[in-house]
Amino acid sequence: MRVNWKPFVLSLAVLLILFPFVYLVFLSLASEWRFPEVWPSYLGLKNWVTVFGSETGLLRSFFSSLLISLSVAVFSTASGFMISKAVFYHPKKRTLTLLAYFPYILAPVVFAACLSFFFLKMGLFGNMTGVVVAQFIIAFPYALLFFSSFWNEKVKSYEDLVATLGGNKWQTYTKVVLPLAKGLLMICFFQTFLISWFEYGLTSIIGIGKVQTLTIKVFMFIKEANYYYGALSCCLLIFPPVVLLYFNKRYVFKKLV
Amino acid sequence: MKTKKPNIGIVLFVAIGVVPFAAAFVYALLYSFGIIGVANQGFTLRFWESVLASGTFFKSLGYSVVIALVAVSLSVGGALWVTLKFRRQLEKRILSFVIYLPLAIPGIVTGFFTFQLFSKGGFFARISHKLGFITEASQFPDLVNDGLAVGIILSFITMVMPFFVLLFLNVYKNERIEELSILAQSLGANSRQVVHCVFLPILIRKTWVLIILYFIFLLGAYEVPLILGQESPQMLSVLIIQEIKQYDLDKISEGYVVAVLYTLLVSVAALALFLPKRKRAYAS
Amino acid sequence: MFLEVQHIIKSFGAEKVVKDLSFSLKAKQTLSILGKSGCGKTTMLKTIGGLLSPDSGKILLDGEDITETRPEKRNIVYLYQEDLLFPHLNAYENIAFGLRLKKIPEGLIKEKVGHMLHSLELEGQAEKMPNQLSGGQRQRVSFGRAISTNPSLLLLDEPFGSLDTGTRQRMQELFKKLTAEYDITSLFVTHDLKEAVLMGDQIGFMQNGLLTVYSDKKDFIQDPQTGVQNEIEFWGGLR
Repeated sequence: MRVNWKPFVLSLAVLLILFPFVYLVFLSLASEWRFPEVWPSYLGLKNWVTVFGSETGLLRSFFSSLLISLSVAVFSTASGFMISKAVFYHPKKRTLTLLAYFPYILAPVVFAACLSFFFLKMGLFGNMTGVVVAQFIIAFPYALLFFSSFWNEKVKSYEDLVATLGGNKWQTYTKVVLPLAKGLLMICFFQTFLISWFEYGLTSIIGIGKVQTLTIKVFMFIKEANYYYGALSCCLLIFPPVVLLYFNKRYVFKKLV
Repeated sequence: MKTKKPNIGIVLFVAIGVVPFAAAFVYALLYSFGIIGVANQGFTLRFWESVLASGTFFKSLGYSVVIALVAVSLSVGGALWVTLKFRRQLEKRILSFVIYLPLAIPGIVTGFFTFQLFSKGGFFARISHKLGFITEASQFPDLVNDGLAVGIILSFITMVMPFFVLLFLNVYKNERIEELSILAQSLGANSRQVVHCVFLPILIRKTWVLIILYFIFLLGAYEVPLILGQESPQMLSVLIIQEIKQYDLDKISEGYVVAVLYTLLVSVAALALFLPKRKRAYAS
Repeated sequence: MFLEVQHIIKSFGAEKVVKDLSFSLKAKQTLSILGKSGCGKTTMLKTIGGLLSPDSGKILLDGEDITETRPEKRNIVYLYQEDLLFPHLNAYENIAFGLRLKKIPEGLIKEKVGHMLHSLELEGQAEKMPNQLSGGQRQRVSFGRAISTNPSLLLLDEPFGSLDTGTRQRMQELFKKLTAEYDITSLFVTHDLKEAVLMGDQIGFMQNGLLTVYSDKKDFIQDPQTGVQNEIEFWGGLR
């Protein structure tokens, strides 16, 4: 008889996927876990209580991350949507699309390093506005390219139809184009939110450690070898996307091209 | 109807999408030639010569290419295997949610987590100690910050493979590979032939652009090699940032040389990928 | 004449798609135009509807020059081959769409749409979303949406092209009924010979961007290039 090995492999895969989540929560509850102990000597809510007592500013980081990411998502989705229309209805759309791929494909941290001079000159260095602007610059090409497939013949036909029915530009947008794009706008919003939420390199360069988003905190704790707080910040970082996943998988699954 | 007014949309596109990239590139270029920069005194090829002669760039490039290549190949191979063997099971309710979970983990967390597991004081070292495989932390093999970049590659795979599994499952459905496979079987193909003549060609054809794109992303990855990399050689982004952030002013210019080379490389890749006239490889 | 089209020329790049288009149409009449795909009929309709601007020529509607008028001000509705219903609105709201754009009072909208649903034999379907309707029903809703705004001119671009033969026949009858009921002036483009003969008060034939309008249906039947003679021979030969 052939043994059906698939269930075993699948169970193992599920365990492997769930393991990081469990382990990070576990580590965030631990304290004074010295090598070679297999079980930490302290396990409890101590770290969480300290953090929510705001001693390490982690709660602050959470909210500034949230503010930054929401701003980036709003700006990049809105501008990406509006501007992509001009780009993808343009006769030279192929060339324009190609131009958008350059910043998209470049490592954000290198991009930031080469841009930092301009940010310094414009007073956008080491403050939240600067970080929002920098993240917006890398999220924008993503949002723009995201909508490339939306502006097709069919949507053009809908726009023409509304015009012949007597609708003006404003009515065309509010009554037809935006309702048609609603689903995509939501997806783009959350995906650009996550681009910003997960961003580390660029933020560390433009924010120079003064703008402490969650990712910056994680790295700070790693450098301090404070792994328990590190794990705790990781938890704060990964559970919002899990919630988004629960609502709609497409909010998190980014595939472009 | 059509008037020749300047198209505001295109102007904004250039302002947000093109100008920053161009500015960044020109800045790095000027810096690398010593035309701008704190201690620089005008045009010189000194930094370029120094970078090209020392071989730092090429070493780092080769190192990055090998790591990215290994990680992408293993991820794509693994994802293809998973898709082939498990696609039916992965459609079930709970599993279809669980396989999306890895997407909620950013690079910096993956790096941190891998370090926690595989470092000399980490989870597996403790277990090995408990099981009596090692008696001291230092006996545990180098799996992070190691010469073979095992930690980096492992992290990359855990980040990229789930994405490709989801992608392939998606394409499998959209391209109706199930129906095509049955059709091929009815034409007399055995299961091996179905895999080689239907399954693989369709999946790869539809996704090769994304595969290359992910290779390029890994080439420029920063967080993971920052946490799990070694002193030398380093992956490109880490090298560039390290040199640019140095106090040694010559090093800054050299960092920009590497940045220019990297940007050129990536731009050429973008041109090669997206310039040829072809239909969109994979539209959702 | 109600609609007068004078010497319209439209090119895309080097290709002249519509060459010196001139014809006129009386009010409350239907001009059906026979033409194969790619003969320039869609470009012609879109130019008259204001969705494309002509390179030269003039369009007069009810004596008024509308060549430069924006599409939303022309009161000409262009109907696509595919039904193109708004997927986010139900049948009722699709029909009411043009009326809402004109900010007509709610009571009047209700009355008009109700009447339209009745004329279209769509009672009981009002709440359904487009994806719950059949192909013929969708096309009827899209008709209703176009007619309910009382357009001066209706442009139909192969409106029944995607329907099966039976549905197509019923729709042709319904269209005849509606044009009489709502006093509609229309241009009806089709590649179906029988449909062209059936639907038009007048018939035209379009080929390579050139339109010939026949003053009499007999002339249309006699002209060998329209293909009518071929058909007659074929069916006659079977006897």
